[in-house]
Amino acid sequence: MNKFIKIASTFILSTFFLEGTFADEVNIYTSRHYDSDDALYAEFTRATGIKVNVISGNGNALIERLKAEGENSPADIFFTVDAGNLWRVQKEGFFKSIESNKIKGIVPKNLRGPNDEWVAIAKRARVIFYNPNNTSSKEMENLSYEDLANPKWKGKIAIRSSSNMYNQSLVASLVSNHGVKETETWAKDLVSNFARKPQGNDRAQITAVANGEAELAIANSYYVGIMLSGSAGKEQLEAANKVKIHFPNQDNRGAHINISGAGILQYSPNSKNATKFLEFLLSERVQDYMVNLSFEYPVLEGVSPHPSIAKFGTEFKEDRTSVADYGRYNTDAVMLMDRSGWQ
Amino acid sequence: MVRMSTLSSWMSLPYLIVFLFLLPVVIVLSSLFGDWSENWVHLYNYVLFDYVSNSTGLIIGVSILVLLIGTVTAWTICNYNFHGKSFFEWALILPLSIPPYILAYTFTGLFDTYGTANNIARDLFNLDHSFILFPNVRNIFGAITIFSFTLYPYVYLVSRSAFLNQSQSMLEAGRMLGLNKIQIFYKLGLPIIRPALIGGLMLVIMETLSDFGAVDHFAVPTFTTGIFRTWYGMYDLNTAMQLASFLLLFIGIFITLERFSRKKAKYSSGSSTFKPAKLIQLSGIKSCIAFLVCFLPIFIGFIVPVSELAIWAYQHNLDFFDDKFINITVNTITLAIIAALLCACFALLVNFSIRFKKNTLSILSNSLLSMGYAVPGLILAVGIVQLFTWIDRSLLINTENVLTGSLVGLIFAYVIKSYALANSTFESGFERISLSIDDSARTLKSSGWNLLKRVHFPLLKTSFLTSALLVISEVVKELPATLILRPFNFDTLAVSTYIYAAEERMIQASAPAIAIVIVGLIPIIILTKMIKSSRPTK
Repeated sequence: MNKFIKIASTFILSTFFLEGTFADEVNIYTSRHYDSDDALYAEFTRATGIKVNVISGNGNALIERLKAEGENSPADIFFTVDAGNLWRVQKEGFFKSIESNKIKGIVPKNLRGPNDEWVAIAKRARVIFYNPNNTSSKEMENLSYEDLANPKWKGKIAIRSSSNMYNQSLVASLVSNHGVKETETWAKDLVSNFARKPQGNDRAQITAVANGEAELAIANSYYVGIMLSGSAGKEQLEAANKVKIHFPNQDNRGAHINISGAGILQYSPNSKNATKFLEFLLSERVQDYMVNLSFEYPVLEGVSPHPSIAKFGTEFKEDRTSVADYGRYNTDAVMLMDRSGWQ
Repeated sequence: MVRMSTLSSWMSLPYLIVFLFLLPVVIVLSSLFGDWSENWVHLYNYVLFDYVSNSTGLIIGVSILVLLIGTVTAWTICNYNFHGKSFFEWALILPLSIPPYILAYTFTGLFDTYGTANNIARDLFNLDHSFILFPNVRNIFGAITIFSFTLYPYVYLVSRSAFLNQSQSMLEAGRMLGLNKIQIFYKLGLPIIRPALIGGLMLVIMETLSDFGAVDHFAVPTFTTGIFRTWYGMYDLNTAMQLASFLLLFIGIFITLERFSRKKAKYSSGSSTFKPAKLIQLSGIKSCIAFLVCFLPIFIGFIVPVSELAIWAYQHNLDFFDDKFINITVNTITLAIIAALLCACFALLVNFSIRFKKNTLSILSNSLLSMGYAVPGLILAVGIVQLFTWIDRSLLINTENVLTGSLVGLIFAYVIKSYALANSTFESGFERISLSIDDSARTLKSSGWNLLKRVHFPLLKTSFLTSALLVISEVVKELPATLILRPFNFDTLAVSTYIYAAEERMIQASAPAIAIVIVGLIPIIILTKMIKSSRPTK
């Protein structure tokens, strides 16, 4: 028994404290969880010799960990989906401005932090899906997010719960453009147009439209790519084949854009490597690789999205509202959705 | 006098450790003494009522259902002989290896409008495309079903051992007084096992309240989803922690009330009248009914989700089972075993000192640690991160974090999250040891360590093993705290599942989910072995 305890304790102690640190490494906190990202990290190590250490987890919790760790944080890069998360880290003052002109040359101003604290790595649009068999393209013409409040869509709109960050960002962008009061009226009318109680993820909304449970579904663009790839099963593939994408607000500010993005942290111990990593993510080869697996839109010009998402159109007008506003108005958005009864 | 002083010194070390483990819970509770933001007005005006009423409805529904399933199956197993009984006796705890959120995902995969079950029904009966046979599960009733069929084993386990130990003479007396089988069950069987039942039920309630994954998936706004909405959506962690504290206080009151009610109701049977149960042989339709009563919970809580996962995994993701999988599995099991041993040791020491010397300190730390079971994992993780960074910064001058981001954090989280499981096992274990044994030991000058080591521990070996196994099966399922506390490049099975499940990509998540079930089954199979051999001998 005593011998066992000795062996066990040596083993335990060694696992605890042998978390040795390499000289040439980059430490990433990420809330993106894609298989493809693992391959990316391996490729970066192969190309540069820099080891990539990763903790992937819930974005909000990672932010708390960053906060608590403060100056002692080992993290170099915070990588996440949804601009709101990036904005919060920026507001806490945890990012430092990105100096690399190469990076700033690639990423347009509205897809960066106010002082270049973070940059977009890939884009997605939050769009309206419809089934051309049930809804004519004439009805869809020039349809905007604002039009979804029109009583003619009563009982016809499918959208997921207001707890979802993509919905919060969309509503925050409306707050940024119209103010809280007007957006709240819009949200109340939108809720009264719901086809059903908000449930399921974005793909569930697209399926509902494909099968005629609703006429319009609000969902992120890349989901239809995942569905068309067949990796999510036969039913979703069939549903995705039935729907079309409508890009809203084409005659005014454009379709709502959100990002996957990253920034270099204030106390980053390996900030040179971190810059290299961001440049790597924005290189042509990697952008091409990433968007082909995630079905997002690339940030680098000249790279085209995956064909199954490109076929819905790539020449649409993008909303230039600063994505930083999504974070700024997120609390307002959540509270007005509560008030409007959007579950 | 000498004995007293040695006693207090050996008792102070475990207290120190237990105290350290209490701190994260205390940190969460301390938010109550911080600022109260104006977001409370908003919560109060618009959402709090929904959160509270849904959580209450959930608890009531789950309690009724788990009590029904747990006691009826245990009663059937303990009193009747029927076809398949020896299989059901242990198989009834299998659903314990299925995390509620995984059952939730498989349920929607089956019963959504275009889920497998509805599709099959439409194909079979050649029905219209829009025909829906199975009702929507994404509501509070669906959630009640999910929790009840994954958590009833806690009630089954305690009621089974209580029914096995109950006095047969009393039941015979009931029979002679003309009570029928059902009357005997609820007039005599149930009241006797009430204290044990409440203990099991407490675990179910705490787990139900702390769950986020399943209720979020079903879009039922509960107190816990409210906590996370406040944190993620309103960016207000402090208010979120205050909400969590209220949840904890509620549980605390519940635990205290339960202790109180237990004290008043002590049932014991004189050992001379104890006779092992005489099993009644069932045949024909009655045997069928007994079979169905026991089969249904296993079917819904284990067979359905595992088959659905197996089909998904087979179709899409079998390559998950590679070298990386072994590494992840070893990680998961190692952590689970360490946490389980710690939990069992703590629970043993704390319960022993409560018995030995009824001091408020041990009772208080016992209740506080037990409450940890009800803290949503992520909130607990925040408490741990805050504690560790504080220790790192103040005790160690070194700039490198030693505790933060080490496995110690994970173990902290697991111990706090599952202490209640170990504790409830030891509580009933100690209750079964007659106080007269302590007295005889004391007359033989045995006390303190000696008493624990030579008298109590040998009697509590089963409790020790049971509690460790329960903790292991719980830790294997733990997710949210693991995600945030783990070191770089460190995965557990639950983490691999989550990566897909969070995006509702259950088809890809199915292989790691099956792995959780398989690993979670190991302790449960050992438990079932113990169950088989734990019938009192004739």
